[in-house]
Amino acid sequence: MWSRTIKNKSWLWLTVVLTAGPIVLGIGYAFAYSFGLTGLLNDGFTIEHWQKTITYTPFWKSLFFSFVIAILTVFIACSLALGIALRFRHIWKQHQALLYLPLTIPSIVMAFFVFQLLSKAGFLSRLLNRIGITSGIEGFPDLVNDNYGLGILFAHICMATPFFSILFLQVYQNERIQLFNQLSATLGASKMDRLRKVVLPIILQKSFPAIILYFIFSFGSYEIPLLLGSQSPQMISVFTIQKLQRYNLADIPIAYVSCIIYSIFIAAIVILSSRLLMYQQMKKG
Amino acid sequence: MFTTESVFKDLRLQVNEGEVLSILGASGSGKTTLLKVIAGLEAEDEGDIRWKGKRMNKMMPQDREIIYLYQEPLLFPHLNVFENVAFGLRLRKVQEKEINRRVEHVLTSLGIESHARKSPEQLSGGQKQRVAFGRALIIQPKMILLDEPFGALDHDTRRQMQQLLRQILENEKMTAIFVTHDIKEAIQMGNRIGKMERGNLHIYPSLKAFVEDPGSGAQEEGRFWKNLL
Amino acid sequence: MKRSISISIIGFIAFFPILLLAFLSLSEQWMFPNILPDRLASGPWKLLLTGKSELLYSLLLSVGISLLVAVVVTIFSFFASRQIAYSPIGKKILWLTYFPYVFAPVLLGAILQYYFIRYGMSGKISGVLLGQFFITFPYGIIFFISFWNARIRSFEDLVSTLGGNPFQKYKQVLFPIARPAISLVFFQTFLISWFDYGLTMLIGIGQVQTLPIKVFQYVNSANMNHAAAASLLLILPPVILLWINKKYVLTRWQM
Repeated sequence: MWSRTIKNKSWLWLTVVLTAGPIVLGIGYAFAYSFGLTGLLNDGFTIEHWQKTITYTPFWKSLFFSFVIAILTVFIACSLALGIALRFRHIWKQHQALLYLPLTIPSIVMAFFVFQLLSKAGFLSRLLNRIGITSGIEGFPDLVNDNYGLGILFAHICMATPFFSILFLQVYQNERIQLFNQLSATLGASKMDRLRKVVLPIILQKSFPAIILYFIFSFGSYEIPLLLGSQSPQMISVFTIQKLQRYNLADIPIAYVSCIIYSIFIAAIVILSSRLLMYQQMKKG
Repeated sequence: MFTTESVFKDLRLQVNEGEVLSILGASGSGKTTLLKVIAGLEAEDEGDIRWKGKRMNKMMPQDREIIYLYQEPLLFPHLNVFENVAFGLRLRKVQEKEINRRVEHVLTSLGIESHARKSPEQLSGGQKQRVAFGRALIIQPKMILLDEPFGALDHDTRRQMQQLLRQILENEKMTAIFVTHDIKEAIQMGNRIGKMERGNLHIYPSLKAFVEDPGSGAQEEGRFWKNLL
Repeated sequence: MKRSISISIIGFIAFFPILLLAFLSLSEQWMFPNILPDRLASGPWKLLLTGKSELLYSLLLSVGISLLVAVVVTIFSFFASRQIAYSPIGKKILWLTYFPYVFAPVLLGAILQYYFIRYGMSGKISGVLLGQFFITFPYGIIFFISFWNARIRSFEDLVSTLGGNPFQKYKQVLFPIARPAISLVFFQTFLISWFDYGLTMLIGIGQVQTLPIKVFQYVNSANMNHAAAASLLLILPPVILLWINKKYVLTRWQM
């Protein structure tokens, strides 16, 4: 018991202030603004902003779109990463830098790069044009700033895949999965069996927190959809900031309602997944 | 450990200067807590801790000159053997020449002088324990508290270490409390023996009393070997 | 043989973005349908080197801001995490730190903007510093928490019984042992700050011109070779860090 040593709890309170403080203050202001208690064009408590936002289709489209992009990003990137991690397990020791290199590229640069790669006048278009598969600028499909978010998804996957590959490789090593692999083989399990019942479950279980975190980060992604997105649908961060900063002052409350709903959504995911984790721990005993 | 249950109550303990008190106890008996309270690493709710009559409850662990040794040797990973042993001396700003002399002396008496420049991960379990002892003994503390120091060692190393430690404690006339769950070890290491069970400590006035008490476990052990033979 | 082909392919894919950016930064004109630039010129790079470039200013500003944030956050979170790890209510407080950690920085900037404006930090470097501190401090704590385990606690006890005072304890034992963890937190918070666009844009209202802001500005004004040059400058520190130690680059903040 460290009652003797931790007499001075100042760092603890400092932490509370500096972490909870901004969130509480920020959400507090957002609530106030959204209920008309403060801010431009507001004069007193009203629920009309909430009504307006909840009935505003582009908002829900935006939420849904963000959700889908985040799910697809995580799903596709993890699948690719599993493939890379398992197939190239043995040679990665020497070539690790190759996987780490893409991690040096932040979202803004990745967005710019994907734009230069996949836009109608971009590198891929020119390549295909030269080979003769497409003809001219118009012959190349809309891959960026399109209504399906293909460019956004591609950029997200480019960033997520190396990250998960490294993560899975590390988990494989740390959890000594090779050991369990061999063990189950001696117990008579086939390659498919071992993959499905030993290797994948252990990797995914240990990576679960990272996967949830990445999902949350993808959901709230800003720079990539800012450059590669279109006016509709927008990812939730872009939607929110646009409502906040565009000329139409009457749109600002919508931005704050959006922030609150975003916060609730994020909080729900964090709480749910930690419950899930605790439940898993308890099951194991 | 953030429990609120009482670990032990009404516990009376007296150690004489220059003696080794063995305490026999299973895990959960509260022996570790007892040692940590004496060392000042855990706070007692009520009671007295006195050295030569003077009360030291309010003293910080670094001022008590009582060293608590863990089961794990806990050598500083960023220092080599020599520096690990010299650590306490450097804290006290002892002169370099003096440090060299005393560290060499301690290393030799522990039989590890050839490992002086090695780093902890290069040592075996027994060697690490010796370094841990050296580090404690060199600053000549008032008392050493040993919490199952040989628990992780194999049988032969354990026997070696028991002999070595017994020798050194005698030579240095060190006061110590030696905690173990092994009866033979308790008998070998201590001048007096106590038994701790679920927070209750009973110190036997003599080895004979210990052997004669049916509850101490000594007779059980004797019967085991007798039946075997 | 098959393996080395796959490795080469993956290697090419890994380097391709940098290659493309490099070519872009050196091209004065690169019209469709050409695969290679029409005209090469060292435009933005020359400007940078002769010091006449706003890129240089942004580079230095970004370095200054990120270094400051990294130093402050590393120190604060090192000591804060210790108290959190060692006290009974620590677990609950740790919970608190998860929310600013996962919250999208740009949205955090959005809900705090009012306060920054009200207290005169909007559009100023001080505002950006504070905002970036808010998003990196939780990260530091969450990372350092795993350092203060039972073993480290035992070391602290040991140093005490050997006669060391708290100052000696930190200097002789804790800092040396924690050095790898401290470096890691330092460089990763540096990178989080270094890469940040959204929060910096909102709080700095475009007046605090860090490198990411510049990238966006150039892209929006269709100044592609400058955008490419700025991008390459932006990835330069992480590439250097990667060369020193791969682990420094593995942050979860690549969004």
